[in-house]
Amino acid sequence: MKLGKTFKHALNMVLHSRLRSWLTILGIVIGVASVIAIVSLGQSLQSSITSSLSGLGGDIVTVSPGAARGGDFGPGRVDREISTTKATSKAVILDTTDYQVLKGIPEILYVQPQIRGNVNVSYLGKAGSVSVTGVDQKVWALVTTSTMAQGRFLDSADQNVVVIGGRLASSYFSQPVGINKMLTVEGGAFRVVGILNDQSTSIYMPIQMAFTVIPNKVNNQYDSIVLKIKDQDFLDDDLAIITQKLTVSRHVTNRTMDFSVTSQKEQQATRAAALSTMTTFLVAIAAVSLLVGAVGIANTMFTSVLEKTKEIGIMKAIGARNQDILLIFIFNSAIIGLIGGLIGVILGGIMSYFLPSLLSSGIPFVRGNLLTVVSLNSVFMALGVSVGVGIIAGIVPAYQASKLKPVDALRFE
Amino acid sequence: MASTTKEEEVLIELQDVWKIYQLGEVEVPALRGVSLQIKKGEFLAVVGASGSGKSTMVNLIGCLDTPTKGTLYLKSQDVTHMSESDLSSLRGKTVGFVFQQYNLIPTLTAYQNILLPLELQEFDDEEAHKRAEELLKLVGLGDKMGNLPTQLSGGQQQRVSIARALAANPEIILADEPTGALDSVTGKEVIDMLHRLWKNEGKTIIMITHDHHLAQYAHTRVELKDGQIMTVQKTVHEKEMKLYHRGD
Repeated sequence: MKLGKTFKHALNMVLHSRLRSWLTILGIVIGVASVIAIVSLGQSLQSSITSSLSGLGGDIVTVSPGAARGGDFGPGRVDREISTTKATSKAVILDTTDYQVLKGIPEILYVQPQIRGNVNVSYLGKAGSVSVTGVDQKVWALVTTSTMAQGRFLDSADQNVVVIGGRLASSYFSQPVGINKMLTVEGGAFRVVGILNDQSTSIYMPIQMAFTVIPNKVNNQYDSIVLKIKDQDFLDDDLAIITQKLTVSRHVTNRTMDFSVTSQKEQQATRAAALSTMTTFLVAIAAVSLLVGAVGIANTMFTSVLEKTKEIGIMKAIGARNQDILLIFIFNSAIIGLIGGLIGVILGGIMSYFLPSLLSSGIPFVRGNLLTVVSLNSVFMALGVSVGVGIIAGIVPAYQASKLKPVDALRFE
Repeated sequence: MASTTKEEEVLIELQDVWKIYQLGEVEVPALRGVSLQIKKGEFLAVVGASGSGKSTMVNLIGCLDTPTKGTLYLKSQDVTHMSESDLSSLRGKTVGFVFQQYNLIPTLTAYQNILLPLELQEFDDEEAHKRAEELLKLVGLGDKMGNLPTQLSGGQQQRVSIARALAANPEIILADEPTGALDSVTGKEVIDMLHRLWKNEGKTIIMITHDHHLAQYAHTRVELKDGQIMTVQKTVHEKEMKLYHRGD
């Protein structure tokens, strides 16, 4: 039989066992939809990270105490916190010596030491604990990647003033905090001069004030030093120079290194890698449901072969060859896979459109709106995989059907 | 008559054919050394009690099954050692089946059922559609093209199945109790139709029946008992048969 006719008969078979076909298709739909949704969500998270990085902060380098490499993710953060608490007992610290060494490196444009801690803050009777960062107000504005929504950055003459994150201003307290309002931080009154264009609850204040406000901080000991280098094209070279100079000044070797130099780019890469691991994991879970769908197809096909045994006998009696029967059944399961894949892609697209808003609080690294796009690649791949799954699941039942002896099949009731 | 040699052409030949079924430990012989020649243009009735082996013999002739021992020639080809696919092709081209239970594909319309053997033989689309339409008209069901088998009476279904058997223009029509599920009037119509095919189209017809009255339509009667041929009887005089053919 010609392929077109074979396909027509397979399609006819699918259409004539509608309920069972649909139930089988549903299995594939669920699998494909979850894979599509997760892949596109993962891809848009990745691209959101990449776009938030590109152009911004490629020239920003952070020096922190502690031997780990990497960004906010992983051991680096832990080490830094340990070193912070140990700072008073003269463990690993960054201080003015390091600051001076960094200042002396010609490849560096700006040096901005900072400290960070949690403080109690209240506004109009409503209190909470938020993160505060003490920054060198003379260079902070030049180094930070944040942008201002309202007001201004800190100024070298500033003392009892703060710049606050977007969410702290808009919704953290019972009432929004506006420019020139007074916040109470650790008992002291601070005037808000700027609101950042982000979704954070952070507070930024002059570092000299921060030393007095944040508990357990020692003057001139920094939690990290943020640098802006002159040319980000030489980022890797500059990182090496910075590391080398600090290694000498701190009297350590590569082995006993007690500080780390990371660029924002590296941090983002670490985050992206972590995210990609997470996505892979979720896709693997979704793939399991696709596998279950495949088992469903195989099951349906076996039932179908059994049910159609007599018809197979008739077909053979009137001249169908083994390969005709084989192809009809394989096409049948491929069609089930294809329809399942198509509906799955559509459903997955809809899911990935609504997922971000459902999960927004649970997704790390993403601030603001996330636009998910189902890539054409993943659509074709999903369709290919679901048809492939259908064919593979159908091969054994189809082979069984094709091998039936016509005389036995005809006798089957 | 120039076609005398053609009429004498042997279409089917069974040489000491055995068919033994294995039922667990026991071997059950359904056919025991059957030898028979069927010539082109014959109308053969196979009669016998149930279990006499008549279905087994017809299944072998129709290449639906292969003999355990012995040789079977269909159009001078030894089919005993043919592959499954070659058998299917040969069967599709040479033999048309008419079953007791009609055996139409329930999900296809009358028209599509007739089209099926043509599609299997890869007929040209236009030709196939034309032929299927002609055949439906021939069996008097030109107005039932789009009906599913369940929307047809038993007699109508059997007529569709005859049209299907004729579709690929086979030389042999194998009919296994073609009237077994029909009342006597529709049964008569179906037999008349087969008779016409034999008389007018020169088809070779092999019909299983246990109705001796129907067997009289055939010009040769083969009686089977316990897997062996008991008698081969000519019921129609040789001259009469030639007269029929002269009438074409």
